[in-house]
Amino acid sequence: MDVSQYLEIFIDETSEHIQSLSDCIMVLEKEPDNKDTVNEIFRAAHSLKGMAGTMGFKRMQHLTHTMENVFQEVRSDNVKVNSAMIDILFKCLDAIEGYLDNVKATSNEGEDDNEALVAGLNNFLEAQEAGGEEAGAESAGAAQEAEPAGNKKYLEAGKAEAAREAIKKAMDNGMKVYGITATINKDCLLKAARAFLVFKAVEEMGDIIFYDPSSQDIEDEKFEFDFSFFLETESAELNQILEAAKGVTEIDEVVGELITEEILQEEAKQAEAEEEAEAAAEAAAKEEPKSIAAPAPVANTAPASTAASSGSSGDKSSTQPAKGKAVTARTIRVDIEKLDSLMNQVSELIIAKNGLVAAHNSSSMSQQEATEQIEYLERITTSLHESVMKVRMVPIESTVNKFPRMIRDLSRKLNKKMDLIMTGEETELDRTVVDQIGDPLQHLLRNSADHGIESAELRAQRGKPETGTIKLTAFQEGNNVIIEVEDDGGGIDTEAVKAKAIERGVITASQAENMSQKEIINLLFLPSFSMAKEITDISGRGVGLDVVKSNIEALGGDVEVKSSLGEGSKFIVRLPLTLAIIQSLMVEIRNEKYAIPLASIQTIENTPLTDIKFVESKEVINLRGTVIPIVRLDKILEVEPEQEDGESLTVVIVRKGDTMTGLVVDNLIGQQEIVIKSLGKYIKNSKLISGATILGDGEVALILDVNTLM
Amino acid sequence: MADLEVLDETTEQYIVVRLGGEEFGIGIGYVDNIIRMSNITRVPTAQFYFKGVINLRGEVVPVMSIRKKMGLEDDETTDKSRIIILKLEDHELIGVIVDAVSEVVNLANSAIEATRKDSSSVEDTYISGIGKAGSRLISLFDINAIIEDKESA
Repeated sequence: MDVSQYLEIFIDETSEHIQSLSDCIMVLEKEPDNKDTVNEIFRAAHSLKGMAGTMGFKRMQHLTHTMENVFQEVRSDNVKVNSAMIDILFKCLDAIEGYLDNVKATSNEGEDDNEALVAGLNNFLEAQEAGGEEAGAESAGAAQEAEPAGNKKYLEAGKAEAAREAIKKAMDNGMKVYGITATINKDCLLKAARAFLVFKAVEEMGDIIFYDPSSQDIEDEKFEFDFSFFLETESAELNQILEAAKGVTEIDEVVGELITEEILQEEAKQAEAEEEAEAAAEAAAKEEPKSIAAPAPVANTAPASTAASSGSSGDKSSTQPAKGKAVTARTIRVDIEKLDSLMNQVSELIIAKNGLVAAHNSSSMSQQEATEQIEYLERITTSLHESVMKVRMVPIESTVNKFPRMIRDLSRKLNKKMDLIMTGEETELDRTVVDQIGDPLQHLLRNSADHGIESAELRAQRGKPETGTIKLTAFQEGNNVIIEVEDDGGGIDTEAVKAKAIERGVITASQAENMSQKEIINLLFLPSFSMAKEITDISGRGVGLDVVKSNIEALGGDVEVKSSLGEGSKFIVRLPLTLAIIQSLMVEIRNEKYAIPLASIQTIENTPLTDIKFVESKEVINLRGTVIPIVRLDKILEVEPEQEDGESLTVVIVRKGDTMTGLVVDNLIGQQEIVIKSLGKYIKNSKLISGATILGDGEVALILDVNTLM
Repeated sequence: MADLEVLDETTEQYIVVRLGGEEFGIGIGYVDNIIRMSNITRVPTAQFYFKGVINLRGEVVPVMSIRKKMGLEDDETTDKSRIIILKLEDHELIGVIVDAVSEVVNLANSAIEATRKDSSSVEDTYISGIGKAGSRLISLFDINAIIEDKESA
């Protein structure tokens, strides 16, 4: 069964289910009796199981199935939720994610059985069973015991449509049909051979009409320790069959029963109900793989609901080894409304183009008509740009929603109580940025949890609530999105940072004397400057804030810290909304044109030469009470020097966070929307230039990177 | 047998360009395009041998001076000056300025003599071999060496 075409959907949906499971389990931990949550978890686990099964990821299916069983018991109040269970459930989620990563990389789920987890989950079930009366299972079948139908796995198999059809046909012909499940000894080396002997023994009495796993998979030993089949026979009794099967060595257990109309109908109903539940719970897209999977041809008896094609996907990867990594493309889900408006705008664009063509052909186009047409075109391209940007925008939710879980784990590991409060998850950013902002944010959060929040004793001493608070706040501000990570912990001890910096030889003692608080805090962003006194698992490996800083700067953003000792610190990450197209101010320096991103421009001043003062032999101007250093762009950009003849300078005041700098230019050209192009990797410049753009006349203008000019 | 020997000879095409008084060959597989000199926008603080960037069909393409990289005197733009756009393995484009483009030649592998790699001449580090087309000698550029960012004086 080729399901590779559904791989992308599978990956998308699985990550969604994992996320919702993770969210729900977090809730469950706080409110163990919340029935709604339990139900939601059950549904998500069930859907996961179904999808994994459809795709033939047997191990994943097995694990989710066991999880589902646990939730089933929780739902019916047989098992109480406790922290041990929550822990193991989280581990299961990690394991499923591991499978998913394997699937993403190789389109195969990998080899890890996660037996320990399955056993751990089963312990909960067994503990509950033991409480009833029966002391559970023997070691051999521990995993299987947990199945809702016990060892009667054939009941599961019977849900497959192919199986039902085959059984029905046999019954219509007046044959008796038995469902049999045989369990092979775990130490058995030749499972396929044992299975074959079982089949041989029972086939003396009738014909096997359905195998689960498929006969091919059984032959290839692609099954765990049990297999099921349906046998049609004219006269043989159940006992005879079971005896015959048990006669084969190394077969531990054989169970079976006569399949009657009722059982069959029950199966059909259950299968339908399951499918319905899934249909209700999942999007229409998900239905497709299901409906394709179900009518698997009887000939090769591929069961749709149970594991089978872990083998076939294995084959696939061996036949196409060249394909290598990354089996899926990066996709984005787009609201159909956004696409509609895009389509409308494109139609308008075509109309505008036709208008221009017609006007051009009539050759009597007046200046005014031309201007009108061009304005029309301009309006459309601007709104088209906006629409395309909107399509690329996704809420940061997808990235930040894994953080509550992370903080919970950290809280346990560090033995500190802390809460994460997130606001503004719906803030939208360019997909590329959202994808890449995860790591830096994660780092900042770890930083807050590890270095920020103090130990419980210290917090009590300082009169703070026992539970520390970390806030993650996102919001839009003009053309930027601001993400703040704030904690109410100890704050940054600037004296300690200073001492460390002197010790490391980063600065000299006399330099340290003259440094402002802010400059000292900025030392933290230097490479390999970790404040952790001892290296912990969580942070302090020396790969730290410098990586955060460079990652964020690579996205065109910047990061800033505010901190007060004893009260906490706040990391402010500022990111641009879009990457590709920006508004800019075109300026001229001698005869060269440069673009300055409008977003970072504060004001433009015409400053008389007499207003320029010198502080520490650097040129500054005093602008309405603020002293702003000025930068002569012509010097930095290595333009031919020119004799100053004017009486005043044109100064563009740019801002980054709280810092302002004045850039001296020769001329202002005007505001323009520009498309950012990369300079390529061969040409190097000292980061002064962040890119280039092509002007209306075809010339190339360079874009100044304001951040490095400060 | 004689026929077979000829067939065995794989020939490759080279674009012959002129730099100073010498002729150089560039493997045709590298060449994406040959354009006339156009406005080059200077990139401040870039490597000294980069002239700047140009607009090539809406893409920004860096342009380097082979003359400067090889330590010859600076380019003098004439009517015959051309920018050869090279396409590198990673699909990046890069332009190199030449004095003139003369022709395309077929060179059999047997007609190419490898250069001695121990040569101390700066120029030779950028040459992969000498091609003999009739009585002419054509130095064949080692494109990767030219592109490579080595701070050679």
